[in-house]
Amino acid sequence: MTARIRSEITFWRVIVAVIFVTGLYATYIRFFEGFRASTNLTDQMPWGLWVGLGTLCGIGLSAAGFGISAAVYLLGMERYRPILRASILISFLGYCTVMVGYLYEIGLPWRFWHPVVMWNERSVLFDVCVCIMTYFTVLTFEFAPAVIEKLPWKGLRETILRYHHKILIGVVLAGVLLSSMHQSFLGGLFLIAAGKVHPLWYSSNMHAIFYMSAIPAGLALTVMAVYLSMRSLNVRVDFTILSDCGRMIQMLLIVFLFFRLLDLTGNHALHYAFQRTSEAGYFWLEVVMFMLIPIALLSFDKVRNNPDGLYWTCAIVVAGFIVNRLNVSINALQTAMGTHYVPKWTELASSVLVIAAAVMAFRYAVIYLDILPKAKPQLPARWMSNNGLAAQA
Amino acid sequence: MPKQKAMLIDIKRCIGCASCEAACKQLHGFNADPEPTLSDTAFTVIESRGDKFVRKVCMHCNDPACASACPVGAIKKTALGPVVYDAGKCIGCRYCMIACPYQVPRYQWSKLAPFVKKCDLCSERVKAGGQPACTEACPVLASIFGDRDELIADAWNRIRTDSSYVPRIYGTTEGGGGSVLFVSDVEFEKLGFRPLPTGNQPVPTLTAAAMGDSPKVVIMGGTILSALYWITQRRREVALAEAEERLTINRINQERS
Repeated sequence: MTARIRSEITFWRVIVAVIFVTGLYATYIRFFEGFRASTNLTDQMPWGLWVGLGTLCGIGLSAAGFGISAAVYLLGMERYRPILRASILISFLGYCTVMVGYLYEIGLPWRFWHPVVMWNERSVLFDVCVCIMTYFTVLTFEFAPAVIEKLPWKGLRETILRYHHKILIGVVLAGVLLSSMHQSFLGGLFLIAAGKVHPLWYSSNMHAIFYMSAIPAGLALTVMAVYLSMRSLNVRVDFTILSDCGRMIQMLLIVFLFFRLLDLTGNHALHYAFQRTSEAGYFWLEVVMFMLIPIALLSFDKVRNNPDGLYWTCAIVVAGFIVNRLNVSINALQTAMGTHYVPKWTELASSVLVIAAAVMAFRYAVIYLDILPKAKPQLPARWMSNNGLAAQA
Repeated sequence: MPKQKAMLIDIKRCIGCASCEAACKQLHGFNADPEPTLSDTAFTVIESRGDKFVRKVCMHCNDPACASACPVGAIKKTALGPVVYDAGKCIGCRYCMIACPYQVPRYQWSKLAPFVKKCDLCSERVKAGGQPACTEACPVLASIFGDRDELIADAWNRIRTDSSYVPRIYGTTEGGGGSVLFVSDVEFEKLGFRPLPTGNQPVPTLTAAAMGDSPKVVIMGGTILSALYWITQRRREVALAEAEERLTINRINQERS
């Protein structure tokens, strides 16, 4: 009995337990003791890790949902249909984490509904709120069939899916426009902070830069998730689909790199990259991790066609993307605001908790719903009861 | 339409006695200890720059960045001049603090139900025909309150009659101007007045262009995507029809043979 219990305690389960315990404790501190106890935020740094990682990265990394649904539904790239549902699920869960994170971020979380009824059309943040709310509805709609088809009542199931199918294209189209809008508006949030955002990141094209960087990062996260599902959840997807995603990520990153360089030279800001400042360091970290290394690695067939190689390259893309968003939201502001911000452990622990919950939800959805094509379950016949070894011999 | 009010702060006259700070704290019932910078319990402070004293206070912009940024419209510019905050609407997103080019709004970080705090130019007193506590308390008339037009005329008068003044009234046009005006006998740049990123344009113009483009982008994007969808659908139909045709021909050929 004890041996059985001991075998249940695996490395990753311990990690998950630690994440949940610390995260829940951090959550308690946030909601019952306030910002002073749970964050290192100050009047000079009013937005920190929760906005930088939770919102900016959470939305950005959820960009694959609209990208792949546009490719499959609107552009007829049927090739990517096997990973369509997975990408929509990732977006759905990503937006869930953002909405949970929103409750941590705002000072008066019980007023979360205020933007629904109190409007300020001039505010970029209001537009972001509205777009996120409506796009979350779209995502729920796009993801709903995965749950509905599991309903036990055949008639109801088929009626709903028939009507669902009729309006699907319109909803997908609206979803693509909505998410394009708020992916870019997240960058637009910082337009008004000219003079505070370091010139290496400030640009009147910030919204375009956010949009262009979100799509490759979201694709990279989808590739990672599909790869992990293949490795551990009995999922079988044609790997060349993922390789092609890798090629697409590379192309998008090359375009982004050029746009970023042109933008910097256009703003006469490129020389800041060669000064001995911490901003220049963060800038190069971002350029190397998010652009140069992945572009170089993905140009090798050996990396792109190797599952592990592609997985780790995509991991670098995602990490580089996170560096970019934290640069914009935290590092670019520090000098002008005259402050130095390091997040408190509670900020990190609660963010990790929310992310871990989303990862677990993804895992269980892949196991119990038809998200990704599964390998045929091997039915052990009597003569191959030792997992087919006898048959192979 | 009531006449817009304003506050004129004369840096040459200010003696740094901090009566304005004390009066402000007393009016709001805050702890009377002087504070080095603006905080959620100090809506105005005196900063010394060399031998000069510079009052830091909300500039009550005519087109405030904070008001344009607030997603729920909790911050408003009133006709009388004060930029006021509606605590009943605020959700605590703190975007106003990111947006304000003067870094004025402060947050009650230690409260469980925190609000944004900033000078409201004693809006209630002004509405009742009075003046803010700080101008009332100033013993040397370095801060005075009145109709904005008259104060600007007064300020130009001081600049004309006393050549030591810098010929500029800070706050008339900077960032679209506002209801707090400064005159000084030292260059404003040397006193910590940083030039605004928009010059004489209101700061919200920074986002207006990007947001104004969005309907165009949405309409264009929607049209292009619909067109692409139509093309892919059409191609699929054609491919299907061709396949059917081939099938029929094959069948006919088979029947013949």
